Amino acid sequence: MAEDSNRDTLPGMGPLQEALRALLPRTKEELKLDLSENVHRSVLILLQQATNLFYEGRRSECLQTTEALLDYSWEKLNTGVWRDVDKDWRRVYSFSCLLKTMCLCETPGDATTVAAALKVCDMGLLMGAAILGDILSKVAAILQTHLLSGKRPAQGPAQEQPGIKKARNGHTSIPDTRSEEAVPRLHCPSLQYFRKHYLVPQRPVILEGVADHWPCMKKWSLEYIQEIAGCRTVPVEVGSRYTDEDWSQRLMTVNEFISRYILNEPKDIGYLAQHQLFDQIPELKQDIGVPDYCCLGDGEEEEITINAWFGPPGTVSPLHQDPQQNFLVQVLGRKYIRLYSPQESEALYPHDTHLLHNTSQVGPSMTFQLLPHPTPFLESRQMASLAFFRSTWRILTWRSSPGLLRPHSCPASCLLEKSCSSRLNIGIMCKPWT
Amino acid sequence: MAEERRGSWFGFGFCGFGQALGSGRGRQVTSPEPLRAAGTDAEVCSVSASWSYTAFLSRERSGPIPPGPAPTCPRLLLSWLPAPAGAGQVQLSGSARGAAEGCRDAWASETLLVVLRDGRGPGAGAELQAWAPGSALCGEPLWAQTVVPEAQREDREDGEGDGTRARPLPLLPGARAYVSPLSPLYRPLAPELRARRLELGTEHALLLDEAGQVYSWGGGRHGQLGHGTLEAEPEPRLLEALQGLPMAEVAAGGWHSVCVSETGDVYTWGWNESGQLALPTRSLAEDRETVTGETTGLSGHGPGVTGTTGDEGGAPASCIALQPFPALLDLPLGSDAVKASCGSRHTAVVTRAGELYTWGWGKYGQLGHGDTTSRDWPCRVEYFVDKQLQAVAVSCGPWNTYVYAVQRETS
Repeated sequence: MAEDSNRDTLPGMGPLQEALRALLPRTKEELKLDLSENVHRSVLILLQQATNLFYEGRRSECLQTTEALLDYSWEKLNTGVWRDVDKDWRRVYSFSCLLKTMCLCETPGDATTVAAALKVCDMGLLMGAAILGDILSKVAAILQTHLLSGKRPAQGPAQEQPGIKKARNGHTSIPDTRSEEAVPRLHCPSLQYFRKHYLVPQRPVILEGVADHWPCMKKWSLEYIQEIAGCRTVPVEVGSRYTDEDWSQRLMTVNEFISRYILNEPKDIGYLAQHQLFDQIPELKQDIGVPDYCCLGDGEEEEITINAWFGPPGTVSPLHQDPQQNFLVQVLGRKYIRLYSPQESEALYPHDTHLLHNTSQVGPSMTFQLLPHPTPFLESRQMASLAFFRSTWRILTWRSSPGLLRPHSCPASCLLEKSCSSRLNIGIMCKPWT
Repeated sequence: MAEERRGSWFGFGFCGFGQALGSGRGRQVTSPEPLRAAGTDAEVCSVSASWSYTAFLSRERSGPIPPGPAPTCPRLLLSWLPAPAGAGQVQLSGSARGAAEGCRDAWASETLLVVLRDGRGPGAGAELQAWAPGSALCGEPLWAQTVVPEAQREDREDGEGDGTRARPLPLLPGARAYVSPLSPLYRPLAPELRARRLELGTEHALLLDEAGQVYSWGGGRHGQLGHGTLEAEPEPRLLEALQGLPMAEVAAGGWHSVCVSETGDVYTWGWNESGQLALPTRSLAEDRETVTGETTGLSGHGPGVTGTTGDEGGAPASCIALQPFPALLDLPLGSDAVKASCGSRHTAVVTRAGELYTWGWGKYGQLGHGDTTSRDWPCRVEYFVDKQLQAVAVSCGPWNTYVYAVQRETS
């Protein structure tokens, strides 16, 4: 209980600790990870030590031990290619994040402490692997609830709602899309019709009326996102395009991202791109649906990945190819998409060399490793069909999956994305097929 | 008098497993502390530190220290000190314990402790053994192989006067192969490489040959190979950027590389996320209060691909995340370097004048400046200056640093 009125103490710190403790097993013997032989004996020693210290209430010593575990497992996460990193190291990392978060919340603190704890928790969610029944997600939910309950509404300068009317005509021009080759539009076709005319022959299409009823269409705004997810840490791509030399990935909270790259005359381009935001923040997932058409895919429903794209005008994703089929839903703002069919692959040149992208630093002890798009990358030489989407339309677009990638040619259709002229750009991409 | 000129080891950095590092107080030591000697007759002559334990190789001293002034140059100094005789003892400290006799060399990693031992029985060749660190050197090694006698003879002939092997582990005697902590353990080297020295990073390897040329191979995603790309190299590839410049030392960190030329120049390349290349790094620039970039002692950077450029957010204009080509580093006061060693994300260099400079990641005190701050410029370790100690050799574990220093002549 806070006596000092100057401290921004959250109400009910006692319940926070109780809620967090309730997630953990009662005895230290039960808090165990089953780890393979790939994890060094020395790490197992430290894990045991950290667990013991936590249950004995030796908070600062526990923090010291978990810090060493965090740093060591972080080094493992940075060794080799990300997809080859042993999942056990990611689990060690998550476990260390869990203990650190718990330790930070043990003593009564102010909103800053809880926000710091949430940041650690998010690092575990972003870079670690699920442990103990996805405990980090539950911890994040509890921390977020407590942060929100302590917040006063409308903090800081009032932010204007981005709307179509207030769209700036920025540096990006809107291409002319009056062309007979525009992607066709259908209103809620049946599953069979869609499969026969578009899925099987691998043709793109815009489906209207499918996502009209999704809550996000009414609820989402900058303020809403800030309220629901403002204190969560997310990966942001900084730089005009990821083929540029000065492109980098950084981690920051959603509030920081909005403040630095959406509002306040941003100096750089920052793009929250291709991030599984809805796994990290289930509160947002409740506002979206999954198109029925996704069930036509070969894979299981669990294999559907849902990514979020959130950025200012002027973000560009260079021509590329995705290994999966995609549905794209544009919630706010406008996006210009250009598609090339497989027949035009002769005119498209993949980059000769590996992408020279700079792994960036995102803080004293973190970096983010995921490559956003698979190689190779393609440059356009010939215009084919164009598509342009207004924000009031619900868009579903779809690309075919590639066959074998042969050098210097591309057997499947490719995509150039460019968003323009609106204040804000939020889209969701569902990837139902593998 | 003779005792004052004896060298001794000092340590600083991470010791969270209780590995001997000075006083061993707490989990880290931020300023150099003398190692407690096991006994006065045995002298620690080399140190190989892994993350959770350290292997000390010690030998009996063969004779008294000669009278007269000690040479000042560290390289000459090592040969001036009486050479330890024969094989010695390996002692482990930290998460691994135990000791073994009859050892010529030891190399520590988390998964494997590699020891070069005298052969069992008279006239037998030396034996290379790989042990699980937790075995306390008891029982049988995981793997053992006899060293070919010709290779062993070559090795002894080329050795430096101080008794350390010319080709320390992980390079094997005869330079036909090296050991790796990952499978396969035994890795042959092309004989035409004429390897003098081999260093292993987390994903890469550096080789220094008899002519002073540097080769690199392995993973290259952080530019640690120095060929100007981020591509991996399956086989040793000559560093063309350094061709014609004879190198005296190479050192491999986790994801970065350092070499020292015969003339005392330092070159760095690879990952710079904590400033381990002594190049400005964004994370530290953002931490600093001053808006203008720090340029202490830095000039004449070689060609390289810069990371972020022109960021108005308060970071200096040329922060470097990766350096895929060797960059020339100027030490303060124009000092010449003679030795270098790298930890996971930090670098330590000994100069001809006997000073120690460190830079890079400092969170566990491994830079030895009395704090846990990282630095992206070469910083002298004042402890040795204050105590009139002359640094002679340095050996870094992943998160700590061991230094061999000799008391200076008081004039």
